[in-house]
Amino acid sequence: MVSNEGYAVELRSVAKRYADIVAVDSMDLDVRRGEIFGLLGPNGSGKSTTLRMILGLVKPDSGSVKVLGINAQDDSVTVKRQVGYVPESSRLYEFLTGLEYLDFIGDIYGVALPEKKNRIEEYLEALELGGREGDMISGYSQGMKQKITLISAFLHRPKLLLLDEPLNALDPRSARIVKDLLRKLATQGVTTIMSTHILEIAQAMCDRIAIMYEGRLLALGNMKELRQKARLPGSDLEDIFLKLTGTEDVRDVVEALLK
Amino acid sequence: MNWKNVIQLISVDIKSGRLIRGQRLRRYRERKFFQYLLYGGACLLGIVIGLAVGIVYSGVPDPDLKALFYQGAYSVFVSLPTLILIYSLVFTMMSQIQRAGVRASIQPPYWLPITWEEHTLASTVANLIGIPLASLILFSSAIAIVSIYLDVVPLAVLTIFALLASAYLASTTTEIFRILQVRLIGAVYKSTGKAAVWVRFIGTMLFLVGFYVIWFAFTSGTGSIALIEALAGAQQAIWFIPYIWLGMVVAAFGSGLLGQTVIFSLASLLFILILFYVAVRLNARFGLYEPPAITISRGVYSPKIGFFGKLGFSSLEAAVIKKDFKAFTRRRELMYIFIMPIIFILMPLMQYLGIYSGPVPSEASRFLFAWILLVPGAMMATMLGSMIIGEEGESVWLFFSSPITARNLVKCKYAFVTILSFVVMLVCGAIGILVARISLDIVVALLIESILLIFALGAVSLRAGIKGADFTEVPRPRMVRPMTAFLNALLCLVLALAIFSPLLLHAFAMGYFPITVPLMDDLPMTVLLPRIDLYVAVSISAVIAIVVAFVFYKIALRNAEEFLIKAEI
Repeated sequence: MVSNEGYAVELRSVAKRYADIVAVDSMDLDVRRGEIFGLLGPNGSGKSTTLRMILGLVKPDSGSVKVLGINAQDDSVTVKRQVGYVPESSRLYEFLTGLEYLDFIGDIYGVALPEKKNRIEEYLEALELGGREGDMISGYSQGMKQKITLISAFLHRPKLLLLDEPLNALDPRSARIVKDLLRKLATQGVTTIMSTHILEIAQAMCDRIAIMYEGRLLALGNMKELRQKARLPGSDLEDIFLKLTGTEDVRDVVEALLK
Repeated sequence: MNWKNVIQLISVDIKSGRLIRGQRLRRYRERKFFQYLLYGGACLLGIVIGLAVGIVYSGVPDPDLKALFYQGAYSVFVSLPTLILIYSLVFTMMSQIQRAGVRASIQPPYWLPITWEEHTLASTVANLIGIPLASLILFSSAIAIVSIYLDVVPLAVLTIFALLASAYLASTTTEIFRILQVRLIGAVYKSTGKAAVWVRFIGTMLFLVGFYVIWFAFTSGTGSIALIEALAGAQQAIWFIPYIWLGMVVAAFGSGLLGQTVIFSLASLLFILILFYVAVRLNARFGLYEPPAITISRGVYSPKIGFFGKLGFSSLEAAVIKKDFKAFTRRRELMYIFIMPIIFILMPLMQYLGIYSGPVPSEASRFLFAWILLVPGAMMATMLGSMIIGEEGESVWLFFSSPITARNLVKCKYAFVTILSFVVMLVCGAIGILVARISLDIVVALLIESILLIFALGAVSLRAGIKGADFTEVPRPRMVRPMTAFLNALLCLVLALAIFSPLLLHAFAMGYFPITVPLMDDLPMTVLLPRIDLYVAVSISAVIAIVVAFVFYKIALRNAEEFLIKAEI
């Protein structure tokens, strides 16, 4: 359920530099409430910095970031209470068990006791972690750790989800559950901003997609609008992405490598 | 064996020191000067020590004294290979413990075309890089210089080779121990089930106690001389132990027994080769073994408000405190903090038991009790405070992305530091009461003083811990920048003396410590000091401690606000 009544995220002329590297260059972006929004771009294009600025983890050098109507820099704690975040590579407390970790997260976000118990048990069951929840996380596989990270993001029922490569290392069943869950949450008004390199997932799931390149927003819109922008009617997101980011010389590169 | 591979692997390990040194990683430029500073410094120090000893030896006029001096130096030469062996064993094992929590730093790059021989050789050599290698350089350079004055250059050259071989022998033994330990731990986890965490905790504590007993025997002044004398004499009697053979090589050569020198040299070489072969085989068998996951709980999940919730902490603060308690009993690299109180009880206790065969006199008894009650708790607060933020490691992203305020962070971390330090102080105090006969008023005064120290030093160190937090985890967790930790320790020492000074004044004035420093007109100091009532002294202490705790808590809050804002992870 995409709603235009107030944006979930509003970025106005946002810029961020690291020494002489421009991470984000004067970016304007609006994400609607209840939207599944894809943030794409090559490595180092500024996607993760943008997500971190939305969460208030990184302070922009200029411009403003509003999240759910709140200025992310002025009141980042209130923003964080309403956001679920999955970083690209999350380090969990490996000395805790999966259950202890989720219990810890529930307490951090102030989830009431009966709700916390029910939600943790439901998620563990759904993502097939039941039976291993009492084991220390240090013994988990990468996929199991990713499931714990995802449950941590969903546990407090956030209004906005910021997901950096959320389906990393997940088995097909769990990946499908997460995708369906995101769609269902979108109908309930939960906004998702997802950064991924798996373009098929972005094409299948996202209502709108932004393509970033060298800190700038190259294109923004739904698949139809992106095809028009790239002048590639009927093509998929991969072709559009390669054309817009000027990296469509893939065939030449492969030829050169094989010489 | 591809030697290039071995050298590459060793150089990777040397480069991992960049992270420990906390260097800028973006546009990184290697500065060889700093990389080799430790070794250059050790060499220089060795030369200075060698020159000093040599000059003293040359200046001794009495031939009998000179002979005695020569005999002493000879004993050092003979015992050094075994001493270096013990020293390197302890150090390399300690290094393995520190790395144990970081799997990435000990796991071999098994997907690369590297043989187990190459990996094992690189690993055993790399184990020696850092302090063990610097010590080797220090001893070798000192020996080389001293030998010129003593005219025993060939013996010195042989001793230096024996030292290198001893260090390598120790490192190979550690490698074998490490692999077996991983396999053994796996078996223990499997058989002990839920108790695995406590088995691991107690096992690590026992290992650390053993480590420090050896360490103090080796480093304490009289202990080291006794050890050298004992080793020099005992080696002949226990010649059948292969670890002694390198010492036997030097002893035989020094006595002019060339046949024995050759035999022990060959036997040592063979022993090293056998150990290396065993390490390679064990690595091939268990090098990639992953211990089974530890199962902590099975059964129904029933969340509760818990003890800290009832104490008035918010659910967020209580969750962080609970998490930290689990971290310090489950993370092996953090467990070493618990050894500190044991050391601070053992150290003075052993000394007193050595000095007084009967009951300890009352002055000494007071000092012993004050030490046992005050020092472990205060040290715990200092150390814990400075590392409590950095121990989060790379998981700190969770703090930055969660709705944790600066107030929450400082409150729960300060609570953890003070609670754990109190527990340590109470346990140590109970032991102190058992071993020392102290009047009740002194017990109460020192108990209050200890609580004050914990509150004050905990706040001071927490501020340092926030300001100097270091989240580097590979190749070993750093937790706090070394310079911050050092400056914080100095500051804590000064503030602890300031807090304790009224009580110290009371103790001197009352003549509890019979120090009679001759001052003007030969009056003893005790006469000049104003008499200060015990409870007045404690009250003044309390005022100083509360002011220190309050000021530093406020500064910690401000630092925490900056810390959470500047979370550029």
